[in-house]
Amino acid sequence: MKLDSPSPVVRFSEVNFAYEDGITVLENINFSLETGEFACIVGPNGGGKTTLLKLILGLLKPISGSISVLGKSPGNAQAKIGYVPQFSKFDAAFPVKVLDVVLMGCLQHSFFWGRYSEDQIAKARSALAAVGLPGKEEQGFASLSGGQKQRALIARALVSDPHLILLDEPTASVDVAGTEQFYNMFEELNQRFTILMVSHDVGFISGRVKSVLCVRKTLQIHPVSELTGEALQNIYGVDVKLIRHDHRCSEKGHICPHS
Amino acid sequence: MSTFVKDLLELEFLQNAFFAGILCSIASGIVGTYVVLKRITYIAAAISHCILGGLGAARYFSVVYDLPWLRPVYGAIFTALASALLIGYISLRAKEREDTVISALWAVGMAIGVLFIFKTPGYNEDLMSYLFGNILMVSREDLYLIAGLDLLVIGLTYTFYYQTVAVCFDEEFARTRGVAVEFYYLLLLCLTALTVVLTVSVVGIIMVIALLSLPVAISSRFFASVWKIMIASTLLGMLFTSSGLALSYAPDLPSGALTIVIAGVAYFLTLIWSAFSRPTLAKSNAGNTD
Repeated sequence: MKLDSPSPVVRFSEVNFAYEDGITVLENINFSLETGEFACIVGPNGGGKTTLLKLILGLLKPISGSISVLGKSPGNAQAKIGYVPQFSKFDAAFPVKVLDVVLMGCLQHSFFWGRYSEDQIAKARSALAAVGLPGKEEQGFASLSGGQKQRALIARALVSDPHLILLDEPTASVDVAGTEQFYNMFEELNQRFTILMVSHDVGFISGRVKSVLCVRKTLQIHPVSELTGEALQNIYGVDVKLIRHDHRCSEKGHICPHS
Repeated sequence: MSTFVKDLLELEFLQNAFFAGILCSIASGIVGTYVVLKRITYIAAAISHCILGGLGAARYFSVVYDLPWLRPVYGAIFTALASALLIGYISLRAKEREDTVISALWAVGMAIGVLFIFKTPGYNEDLMSYLFGNILMVSREDLYLIAGLDLLVIGLTYTFYYQTVAVCFDEEFARTRGVAVEFYYLLLLCLTALTVVLTVSVVGIIMVIALLSLPVAISSRFFASVWKIMIASTLLGMLFTSSGLALSYAPDLPSGALTIVIAGVAYFLTLIWSAFSRPTLAKSNAGNTD
């Protein structure tokens, strides 16, 4: 993976977005996401977090402003983005094998007379191994636990060799111990991929995250506080850090030297 | 039963009925799997009721203006495709109040059909056979039509299997992969429309949705991949339609209704069976935590 490309992976300048009913969801959004970042979007429900992801994916169009993703327009960069939705959106009983779910990441517009190649199947197997699900290929997706389903969806995002991984609340239904395992995995994946994730948790973010974007109609970039509350650690049992909501950073954002 | 087998070997109308059930089961097994997985049974039901308008109008113009080539099934095909595209357009564009619009189409389509049938000169027994099916009226020509549909459905499913399954599983992700989601969705609705039209001759407008969904509901409890469910649903459909025809023959019962009752009984037996085998399922799932 190239980690040294000079242009930002994602750049928003003066982006405004409103749904058809005219209510403004995002207002004057400016930020850029550099290669190798591990950034987290936080904010209240309805604050525009998921809308921001959909703008990056090109599934929604801004009413004004410009968005570039990997130097292209969002729609043209889709092939290089690995999108991981929440597993809870899916039909829990959908009859499909884990391997076939992962292979959906290989689908392309040109995919015709569709059969997957040996190469794609090998890639899907190694993606499953990378997310900690080796040997689950032939199992039914429906029979996996919540956390395993989420891992399988991450593997599905990895098979297309993305430059950027977008995760929508990946730990929403995972307990605290499981969340820590997920962050271990994200940290490993961050060696190879730029990661932008949406978190449901407004107050606390794992210390692995390098910068935090707070979205509530407008966007503010916060540093991940260096202060580690020991009391908080005791409660959560994992390394958590405070976000300083009082602090404002430049548009370039703040990258915490932590790693 | 023995009279049924003896007559089946001799009477052409009974052979047509038998093969209509067999051939319809192929299209309805495959398309029904998509309908259940994409959760559009309500849309399929709306399309099936809409076609009464097309059936009625085509028959009216055929009788009143003496157009013998205008068979009711052509009107049905036209209405089914038109309503499928209209419903598809509405559900892709407007995200809200979709069900209201679908319900309106459902009822208005039927109302137009009733008006046309009422004003058509002559004997109006056809209304009953449209609503509840009359498999014994199936002609050789109908069989060719159903066989053609089967080939179309099998061909398209084979060609676009992975794309269509991906669209059913996760439409949004498929879109980010550059899959033409709208195209496959509308294609699915059009195939549903055609399947519904031709299955109507077997079980009628009102019960067609049961033949699409019940075999899938049963087989999805036993198989964990889409193509296996398609094959199992096809075989179950064949079993239900042919046993419905055979058991209704001697006592002179409506075969469509009996077919659906058989399918329904099989479905409830499956539910009872899974309720009793639930403990073992729970046990195997318990080991599956992170």
